Amino acid sequence: MIDVHMDPQVLAGLQEVMEGEYPRLLDTFLHDSEERVKALRTARGDTQALRQIAHSFKGSSGNLGAVRLALLCQRLEMASAGDIGGLVDQIDREFAVVRAMYEGELRRVFVG
Amino acid sequence: MSVQAPVLEALTILIAEDSAADLLLLSTIVRRQGHQVLTATNGAEAVEVFTRERPHLVLMDALMPVMDGFEAARRIKQLAGEALVPLIFLTSLRESEALAQCLDAGGDDFLAKPYNPVILAAKINAMDRLRRLQATVLQQRDLIAKHHEYLLHEQRVAKAVFDKVAHSGCINAAPNIRYLQSPYALFNGDLLLAAYTPSGDMHVLLGDFTGHGLPAAVGAMPLAEVFYGMTAKGYGLAQTLREMNAKLKRILPADMFCCATLLCLSTQRRAVEVWNGGMPEGYVHEVATGKRTPLMSRHLPLGVLSAEQFDDRTEVWPVALGDRVFLLSDGVLDTADANEQLFGAERLLQVFAANREPDRLFEDIEQALAAFRGQVRDDISMVEITLQAGQSLRATGPLYADSGQSCPLDWSVSFEFRADTLKRYDPLPYLLQLLLEIHGLREQSGALYSVMAELYSNALEHGVLGLDSRLKRDAEGFAQYYRLRNERLTHLDTGFVRVHVQVVPTDTGGTLSLRVEDSGQGFDVERVLARPPDIDRLSGRGLSLVRQLSSAVGWSDGGRSVCVEFCWKALA
Amino acid sequence: MSVEKKVSMDGKTLTIAIKGRFDFSSHQDFRNVYEGVYPKPEMVVVDLKETTYMDSSALGMLLLLRDHAGGDKAYIRVVNSSSDVRKILAISNFDKLFDIE
Repeated sequence: MIDVHMDPQVLAGLQEVMEGEYPRLLDTFLHDSEERVKALRTARGDTQALRQIAHSFKGSSGNLGAVRLALLCQRLEMASAGDIGGLVDQIDREFAVVRAMYEGELRRVFVG
Repeated sequence: MSVQAPVLEALTILIAEDSAADLLLLSTIVRRQGHQVLTATNGAEAVEVFTRERPHLVLMDALMPVMDGFEAARRIKQLAGEALVPLIFLTSLRESEALAQCLDAGGDDFLAKPYNPVILAAKINAMDRLRRLQATVLQQRDLIAKHHEYLLHEQRVAKAVFDKVAHSGCINAAPNIRYLQSPYALFNGDLLLAAYTPSGDMHVLLGDFTGHGLPAAVGAMPLAEVFYGMTAKGYGLAQTLREMNAKLKRILPADMFCCATLLCLSTQRRAVEVWNGGMPEGYVHEVATGKRTPLMSRHLPLGVLSAEQFDDRTEVWPVALGDRVFLLSDGVLDTADANEQLFGAERLLQVFAANREPDRLFEDIEQALAAFRGQVRDDISMVEITLQAGQSLRATGPLYADSGQSCPLDWSVSFEFRADTLKRYDPLPYLLQLLLEIHGLREQSGALYSVMAELYSNALEHGVLGLDSRLKRDAEGFAQYYRLRNERLTHLDTGFVRVHVQVVPTDTGGTLSLRVEDSGQGFDVERVLARPPDIDRLSGRGLSLVRQLSSAVGWSDGGRSVCVEFCWKALA
Repeated sequence: MSVEKKVSMDGKTLTIAIKGRFDFSSHQDFRNVYEGVYPKPEMVVVDLKETTYMDSSALGMLLLLRDHAGGDKAYIRVVNSSSDVRKILAISNFDKLFDIE
């Protein structure tokens, strides 16, 4: 599971629940996540703020099936000060992958 | 994901969540389940929306900017007051400390991320059931409170009306009565009445209706009316009891009745006459000797027997000045301790024995009850009447509304009451009513009644029944006297009492001559009149009273005929 | 509290046994027990062997029973009463209406 960037089963479930709103959900997630990654970068020095952002980000990533992203957020939430810098960088990279995959999913829905 | 719990009823649900994707996802799920959704993206906004829209249920993210979910939850719970607004925390928190924090803030449940729509629907339904249950409980509580208040109001009104009737007697005015009654004793069925007869005797009734509440109180009104009406007119205990019994038997259902003690305390005769049907024993307390004579229940309660079967026999006990009569309700004896042991008559007698200050008897009893039970019951009634000297004679009859123009002033009338009538009829109230047609006599109605009562009972008891007044010299003889009186009256088949009334106008007003004759042996007038007045009072014929109250007294026919006069001045 | 009834083989005697407290809460049960018996029995026995407590509304219920059973013509026995219960019956002089043993 650690390697799952995007859980297709979760997405299938979401599509069923959201019906026509499914693309908007994906779009909202991507937009929201972009804001949070930006916020993580600006808050590098503030451990308390970092943890809170990571907590929220973990929740929405989990809900949307971005399993690895959620896991990294959870680690950041618990991390000691020395590990924080490395984890923020990992989240940054993971989101780049997630973004590409979810944009692909969006295209698939529209084409499909 | 298509399996969903059925929705009971569409609710308005507030979702507070700062993550836009989660908010969109959750509100879509909830809306699909048939509910109406309100949203907020931080705690402060959630409180604001709640205040404005009053949703049924709240889904709240724990960690949010501006105001977090814990603080928002606390405020919303406070705003909701007594109503249950279920609050489910949305959380990816895992640590038990954080979960406990959610509960402390007033959360009712959790929903873990990632969301599972089936579990969410089930939780919403479960919380909705709780919410309805609480609403029903509150509604019923308010209804009960309203009914209770209404009932108390009714009781207050009923009590106010009843107090006017009940206190028309002398219960609060007489200096020789002390009583203790719980404020709402009426609604425990307890009833305490007292009034003077025209001759200054005092009638007291302590009653206890079956049951509680209004049903127990309804019989009190007619009973009080009979008591006051007949006492004021000069009827004795027997007639009053018969009337009360007949009235209650007629109006009450078969399973309702009234235990009662009715007594007549006479300073003039130094006697207390008692009828007890179903009440606990009261006591006559002889102050000189400390002796307590129990006043036992000898009869069925009022309202049980038909008029034909009713037994109006009373007992008469001698009393001296300062002696006390004590009556109580069963609430005193039935006070139970933690082990359901009853206080009982034995313990009451111990309180009597230990009592050093007679005026503190009630307090002693209350203390003993409190010590026995831990608290005092709210349905006890106690009354104590002391025999006092010089109860002034007073006109207690009804107020007269006529002008006096039609008042009869020149007439005479004679009655002969024969054996069969003497047995069962008391003509005094009738005669008194007749004589009070004369306005000038109304001021003296008390004296008039007392004199008539003395002369009539002398004629009946010493004349027709041949009873020797000297029997009454001691307590034993006293009881013997009244036993013989009942016995001889029951078997009476000859004899008479005649009453002649002559009313003549004079220059200044008028004169009433009242002659009473009997068929007895007569008596030695000279010798009886020569007795010292002290003996006369207890065992004599009340002759000193007669001489004191009327303007002229004379005997003839060897003591078989006595004549008294009353004079009055014309009204201005 | 419970109220139990038993009708004798010949149908002439109805026995009503009251267990526990005999007070207003047994009102309806007590009535149901005798009102449903036809033909009316010649004699009614009220068995208080297992009666722990009795108040004035129980006395009222006995009067109702007596009324139902024919009033002055009714023959009702009250049996097995404890000393406390007997005291209550004695103060009210119910022995004048019921055969109390």
